[in-house]
Amino acid sequence: MGYFTNIKESVATIFEGMSVTFSHFIRRPYTVQYPDRVPIRIQDTLPFRYRGILEVDLEICTGCLACERACPIDCIVIDAKKDPQTKAMMLTRFDIDIAKCMYCGLCSEPCPTGSIHHTSEFEGADYSLESMLRRFVKTPVIAYKPKKGPETDPEIAPILDRGMAYLGDFAAAGEE
Amino acid sequence: MSLGGYDVEVDRPGGLATEEMTLNMGPQHPSTHGVLRFIVKADGEVMREAIPDVGYLHRSIEKIAEKVGYHGFMPYTDRVDYVAAMPCNQGWAMVSEKLAGIEVPRRAEYCRVIAVELNRISSHLLSVGSMGMDIGAYTPFTHALREREYINDLLEELCGARLTFNYMRIGGVAWDLPPDWVPKAVAFLDRFEPLIDEYNALITYNKIYVERLANVAVISAEDAIDYNLVGPNLRGSGVKFDVRKDLPYSVYPEFQFEVPVGRGEMGTVGDSFDRYIVRINEMIESCKILRQALAGVPEGSVLAKVPRKFKPPVGDAYIRIESARGDMGWYCVSDGTEYPHRVKIRTGSFTATSIIDKVSRGLMLADLIAVVASFDLVAPEIDR
Amino acid sequence: MKGLVAQLTGQGGSLAGMPYELVAALVMLLFGAIVVFVFVLPVAGVTSWLERRVWARIQSRVGPNRVGPQGFLQWLADGIKNMLKEDIIPTAADRWLFSIAPYLVVIGFVATFAVIPFGANLVVADLNIGILYITAVTGLVVVGVLMAGWASNNKWSLLGGIRSAAQIVSYEIPAGLSIFPIVLLTGTLSMQGIIQAQGWAPWHWFLFHSPFTFAAFFIFFVAALAEGNRTPFDLPEAESELVAGFCTEYSGMRYLLFFLAEWGNLYVIGAIVTTLFLGGWQVPHVTDNPVLLAVLQFVTFFLKSYFWVFIAMWVRATLPRVRVDQLMTLCWLYMVPIALVNLVATAIWMTVVPAGVDRMVQLAMTAMGAGIIVFFFSRVRFHLRRAKLRDIDYYYSPII
Repeated sequence: MGYFTNIKESVATIFEGMSVTFSHFIRRPYTVQYPDRVPIRIQDTLPFRYRGILEVDLEICTGCLACERACPIDCIVIDAKKDPQTKAMMLTRFDIDIAKCMYCGLCSEPCPTGSIHHTSEFEGADYSLESMLRRFVKTPVIAYKPKKGPETDPEIAPILDRGMAYLGDFAAAGEE
Repeated sequence: MSLGGYDVEVDRPGGLATEEMTLNMGPQHPSTHGVLRFIVKADGEVMREAIPDVGYLHRSIEKIAEKVGYHGFMPYTDRVDYVAAMPCNQGWAMVSEKLAGIEVPRRAEYCRVIAVELNRISSHLLSVGSMGMDIGAYTPFTHALREREYINDLLEELCGARLTFNYMRIGGVAWDLPPDWVPKAVAFLDRFEPLIDEYNALITYNKIYVERLANVAVISAEDAIDYNLVGPNLRGSGVKFDVRKDLPYSVYPEFQFEVPVGRGEMGTVGDSFDRYIVRINEMIESCKILRQALAGVPEGSVLAKVPRKFKPPVGDAYIRIESARGDMGWYCVSDGTEYPHRVKIRTGSFTATSIIDKVSRGLMLADLIAVVASFDLVAPEIDR
Repeated sequence: MKGLVAQLTGQGGSLAGMPYELVAALVMLLFGAIVVFVFVLPVAGVTSWLERRVWARIQSRVGPNRVGPQGFLQWLADGIKNMLKEDIIPTAADRWLFSIAPYLVVIGFVATFAVIPFGANLVVADLNIGILYITAVTGLVVVGVLMAGWASNNKWSLLGGIRSAAQIVSYEIPAGLSIFPIVLLTGTLSMQGIIQAQGWAPWHWFLFHSPFTFAAFFIFFVAALAEGNRTPFDLPEAESELVAGFCTEYSGMRYLLFFLAEWGNLYVIGAIVTTLFLGGWQVPHVTDNPVLLAVLQFVTFFLKSYFWVFIAMWVRATLPRVRVDQLMTLCWLYMVPIALVNLVATAIWMTVVPAGVDRMVQLAMTAMGAGIIVFFFSRVRFHLRRAKLRDIDYYYSPII
């Protein structure tokens, strides 16, 4: 009879459901209590490819403007001009608006040296809107000219290595 | 259908005149999935009309494509349906490749399939979880999201982001599989499959849940096809149509998997419970595809050579893919420049919204929530 | 308590000469006020904290654990926050009804504490119509909820209020019908009398007295959950449908009073179930010291009733909500007939079954109860094994 089957099914499924819930009650909760009860900083646990807030290593920026062209929302503004006297490329402005940035990674792909890259930093919240505009050029610098062989300057070499490692992670457009 | 509210006199036997209530299930509501508004004319608890009012999340994504170009549009496709973003990426990549006649390497296709199936599991987890929450069971939601965190972690290692992946590029994918990733993915699948059984024991076959969903909003197969329902909504009504099997694309013909169809096991074919159980079974099928794909990834490159200034020849192309919400259509008209002339995205949630009015006449208010949840509507996909 | 009043108004007492009834009434009021402020409000608050922690652990998360040790003062923080909030009354709402609706709901549940027996001598007023008084007084909650729903001038609140009225009024019937077998067995409506008819051992409880009282227990518990607006019957405040149901328009302390009433009502349900079916404050006679005995009885009663609060929270975390028509079907087509059958069968049982068989049935029912609990834990073990807890990041919590 449908009447008693209903009662039997209700009791059986509710019993089963409650046993599942009780088994969850005695398990360890899954929450990571951020930021004060984590064993190591979250930023250090994120993978290498994590697309956090952008950062520019100005020592190896060549001023090619590939990132500015690639950005779909125009959040990167670069001023790079050839200085008429010294004939060197001068970078006077490199601003990234991290409030506009959508963390897509399209800017770090075409960079030849890997100077613009995503960090694993994600805590960018602040009280002022001006802090959202990251100005990476404090004083005008000379753009980097990549050498034919390996980089000889001991200060720039590790930065360049890191940048090229970041770029190497991207897929290489290959021939099948 | 009028959008303005007016009260209608209802004549009851016994000479007692009553009025219909016009309720506004507004854009801010804890349970409509995203910003979606319903204007409900209800006679007490029973609804007479439920008119959906869409457009609160319109962001002109299709128009933006005309400004940013083919490469630059890829992150925007993530936002078309942020719950299942990989299929949207794949749709845009495929339509651009079809326009320009680019061949994608096999390893890239495998990477795409792995990413899309993982995202399908993650999207269905969110869908069944929030369906449980709308019906009143708060626990399955957190359990589903806990499993979804594992998938988010996997995809974070793969492409660097947890929700808006931007993983695929025109011609392949942007990052290859990391060195230790495949064993981790297989470990996740080993962990996840028994948990689907636990989830079923908790909520799927619970008598109260079944009673809420069985025989509610029955959609026959003819109605489903007439109203253009796709995906699990269509398969829940008994129509066995899956773009991966019937109009195969990418490397799907190489995998063995079933297409779950609603069989009316707790009520009639095409009720809300069928749509729900189709989603649960689809997760199991996706696990099967994933195991086959992870076991057999071929060697090779993952990205074809595509010029930085991408200028496809003049013409148009239409691509159909199976996203988590069904048959998603991508149409692109190119005029030979590096900016597309027109992009049109056809989503499953938009057409599912159109059947809500028809199906909710005579249902109760509580059923409206269950029906909206069973269609798995996501507002960004409706409004783009 | 009569002794205390007699002492105070007698020859050497401090209030000699005053009329007995007046002093008795004042002492009762004082005890009632003490019980309410020292016991009821903190219990309702602590129940809210416990509910959030239990919910969270069932949902694989932690719950409030920052305010005070293990988050124990979270309810105090919530109470203070709500008291400091602005009290908004919608312009088009009926001001007077809107304002007093929460108070009616609170009165409806606080008034039941007058008859709840915490020990052999620890009761504010031992009415000889105890259980009937409780059933009558909890009916005030309906009036309060309906007033809240109507006076808010909001269609969603109205729907919530009407649903709640239908629900509470309907479920009074199975609840009342399930109390009657107990009343038949003891012959008295008084709460202390019902407890004294049971013993401290499980086979002396009315829960295991006969299969019909066993079924009556489940029907009463479910009906009491429905009266308290708890899931699976929490349609009046169904968050995903009606935002907050009948209390949508309330803010600040008035809003908190509704929830205080709900959590406090949980305790009342637990207390009534303990009194009727679980033997109340009965403890084995281990000591002659009256104070120690009273403390032991109080602790036993409190633990037993709080156990049912925990069960109600656990049920809330597990089950989905029923729809309004299913709620009515459940009440009128399932629970009322079964409760009636229980009543008639208990009456027949009392006349037909001899005393020796009675005792055997009690022991058999206790064994069955123990068997159900063992089966339950075997299912729990099955689920734990299936979830493959050999993962390094997912193992048993050290607290449990």
